[in-house]
Amino acid sequence: MSDSIFAMKNVSSEEISLKNLSVQFGGVRAVDNFSMTLYPGELVGLIGPNGAGKTTVFNLITNYIKPTSGEIFFMGKSLLGKSPDEICRMGISRTFQNIRLFPQMTAYENVELGLHNVPHYSLLEAFVRTPRARRAEAETRKRALELLEMVNLKDFAGERASSLPYGLQRRLELARAMATSPTLLLLDEPAAGMNEDECNELVKLIRQIHEHMKYTIIMIEHHMNVVMELCKNSRIYVLNLGSLLAVGSPKEIQTNPQVIKAYLGERKHARYNSNAGSQ
Amino acid sequence: MDLFLQQVVSGISIGAIYSLLAVGYALVYSVYNFTNWAFDAFMAFGAFMAFYAISSFFLPFWVAAIISILLAIGMAVSTEKLAYRSLRLRKAPRLFMMISAMGANLAIVNLLNLFFGGQFRRFPVENIGTFSMGQVSVGRMDVLAGIISFGVLGLLWVFLYRTKPGLGIRASSIDILTASLMGINNDAVAFIIFAVTGVLSSVAGIFYGIKYAVYPTMGIVTIKAMIASIVGGLGSLPAAVVGSMLLGILETLVAGYISSTYRDLFSFLFLVIILLFFPNGLMGKSSDEKL
Amino acid sequence: MGYLNAIIILGGINIIAALGVAIITGYTGLFTIGHAGFMALGGYACAILVTTFHVPFAIALIIGGLFAGLCSFIIGVPAFRSQLRGDYFAIATLGLSEAIRLILNTTYKVVGGAFGFMGMSNLTTVPVVVIAVILALFFAHMFVTSQYGKNCIAISQDEVAAQMMGVNLLRTKLIALFISAFYAGVAGGLMGFYMAYLSPSFFTITRSSDLLAAVVFGGIQSLIGPTITAFVLVAVPELLRVFSEWRLIVYGLLFVIIMLFRPQGLLGYVEMNFAFARRWWNAVFTPHQAKQGTIKGDQ
Ligand SMILES: Nc1ncnc2c1ncn2[C@@H]1O[C@H](COP(=O)(O)OP(=O)(O)O)[C@@H](O)[C@H]1O
Ligand SMILES: [Mg+2]
Repeated sequence: MSDSIFAMKNVSSEEISLKNLSVQFGGVRAVDNFSMTLYPGELVGLIGPNGAGKTTVFNLITNYIKPTSGEIFFMGKSLLGKSPDEICRMGISRTFQNIRLFPQMTAYENVELGLHNVPHYSLLEAFVRTPRARRAEAETRKRALELLEMVNLKDFAGERASSLPYGLQRRLELARAMATSPTLLLLDEPAAGMNEDECNELVKLIRQIHEHMKYTIIMIEHHMNVVMELCKNSRIYVLNLGSLLAVGSPKEIQTNPQVIKAYLGERKHARYNSNAGSQ
Repeated sequence: MDLFLQQVVSGISIGAIYSLLAVGYALVYSVYNFTNWAFDAFMAFGAFMAFYAISSFFLPFWVAAIISILLAIGMAVSTEKLAYRSLRLRKAPRLFMMISAMGANLAIVNLLNLFFGGQFRRFPVENIGTFSMGQVSVGRMDVLAGIISFGVLGLLWVFLYRTKPGLGIRASSIDILTASLMGINNDAVAFIIFAVTGVLSSVAGIFYGIKYAVYPTMGIVTIKAMIASIVGGLGSLPAAVVGSMLLGILETLVAGYISSTYRDLFSFLFLVIILLFFPNGLMGKSSDEKL
Repeated sequence: MGYLNAIIILGGINIIAALGVAIITGYTGLFTIGHAGFMALGGYACAILVTTFHVPFAIALIIGGLFAGLCSFIIGVPAFRSQLRGDYFAIATLGLSEAIRLILNTTYKVVGGAFGFMGMSNLTTVPVVVIAVILALFFAHMFVTSQYGKNCIAISQDEVAAQMMGVNLLRTKLIALFISAFYAGVAGGLMGFYMAYLSPSFFTITRSSDLLAAVVFGGIQSLIGPTITAFVLVAVPELLRVFSEWRLIVYGLLFVIIMLFRPQGLLGYVEMNFAFARRWWNAVFTPHQAKQGTIKGDQ
């Protein structure tokens, strides 16, 4: 079903493609022969029950975990064997399911870090802070404040990251990821723990930065209305037990009997677990 | 060839002592992900307690050993309660755990120094001599140290793999949070683990004291055990034993064939070289923090 | 007067070495208990350069520091390549410092073995130390507030996140370690030319623990805190001789207590900048009424 979408595009312009990716932890196949291709500027969803291997896909792309087999190409270059920081500097940035900000740094400093992951002046210039170094710092400051403004956090620039409310921390992570000037953005459950209103606001924000910054985005999300809304013009990949269960437009996914079964299965499972917990 | 065999036998006996210590580090590391820097203080403490039980109270060796083990258990468990527990509960950064452990270590070692003085003491046991195996003469005490050390490690293995509390500890080492959700009592696990480190450090302290001498900073030898557990692969008990035996034998060979002054130098070089070629130790896994 | 001089000089030397530890432990989050080894490397190198090769003292100090910095890569490269294991580094620092002491102790040819290295003149005077401390503070401040320093802070707070945000961990840690060892090396050089001789017994694990104590007490991510405590820790035992037996016991207990109750140390996360100085100045010297006035003014 996805062939029709692929056929329209030129193969050489692929932004990222995962080819037959697998990884095993002990006996568990966390990701099993998973393939996925994105073209520049696309925003696709990645969904699936808990433990399906979604986060592991992000860990594989950023090479935090090495695949057992398979290949990853980003702008035509293989990512295998590259370190996570190299991959970031090539233009892939991410957020984390369990927020990982620098807790004692201010919101502003968190964003700034993404901008100067490679310092803009030499070590010797750092010691004497030449005019050139000072100019570079001023430039960084301006850019960091712009990014904070983009995610509506400018008023919190001086607050310690750990003291921000949960929802704002998620947005700060987004700004920090944007600061590394990526072309591909990996968002791991950006709406986790948000209520209806916050979700709507987040949808607006993500759509805005997607259109404005021309990012390619892969988004893992459990809030179905968030995914369905943001991916309505593109497609959603569904993972189950590490392998691809389905891919298609939000409509196709919602009516896919296998997807429904996988999710219902999880719900049954969840009920069973909560019963066991309460005993 | 005889010299070689002689060195290997001696290396095995020192490797057995390192194994006790390295397993102590690995056990704590596997569950709590930090290096228990106070461990060398436990070892010196255990050795001193046995020393005074024999020299001041004229107790027989075995009784003194048991008293020393019990006191070392008390010391290890109370250190955990006072210096680590609340850090652990509030998930403090590892740096804080290490500093706290280092503090406990400094305090205990220097208290020993203050009370007992810094001089070297010969451990008050009679020399039980050597026996010959073919061309090789073997110290009976070395054999005893080896047998007892491996006996203790064997008991530990049985405890971890054949009993219910052992299963709880293994579960905690895989994922302490999930383990506690499954009804495993974290405080009980901590108690058992630190009690075990007390036993290990005391036995190691006694045999090391017999082999060399008893003095407050004798625990510095635990750096060898740390090196051994890194060489093997941090956090894994079998790897700790493999690393210890390897280090014990190799450094004894260096001492025998080159010079005993370079023995300590060698163990450090060994660490650097192993880390260069095996960044996670010989049998260690790579990064294991889940995102 | 000689007594006061001794405190100023030894305190100043301790400040410089402690600033080195502050950079690697306080700012980069890497636990070290082997900085005495780097002091020894710098100290002996500096002593040999001045006495044997007649290099000017200031230049010899810098070369000694650079030498210590380069030697730090012996452990930095292998330990930092295995990520997420701060423990490797801590053990490697201890191992290196013990190895250095062993080599110095058994090499009689150039460095004098256990007798020590002698024949140095007393070049480390009060003005020299004061200038060195001021320069050390200035450059440390420049480093930790630079983009390099901020990358170090990020690593200390979340190594994985820092790497995922594009920070090269190995490179950044090596830079911090190099500077840190450089500071220790310069401190070692100053010490040799104050004592007029160097002995391997100066550079034991006790000295490393003292340096760590200055940083733990003074506070992580702070320069001014460790500077104050590094000086006080030298001055106090000198003033209270009886304390010396209990010193390390008290340090040890304080390590535990501070980690339990105030892990950021006395002045943790306090940046040494003018805002801090002004706040401190206001708190101490502004009369009570004036202070109330400013608060009202702010409202
Ligand atoms: N580093 C790891 N070590 C061992 N198992 C892991 C690791 N990371 C993930 N897993 C396992 O892989 C499976 C997929 O996890 P994950 O990708 O986090 O799922 P999700 O789809 O909820 O994001 C789970 O069973 C998880 O326990
Ligand atoms: Mg996930």
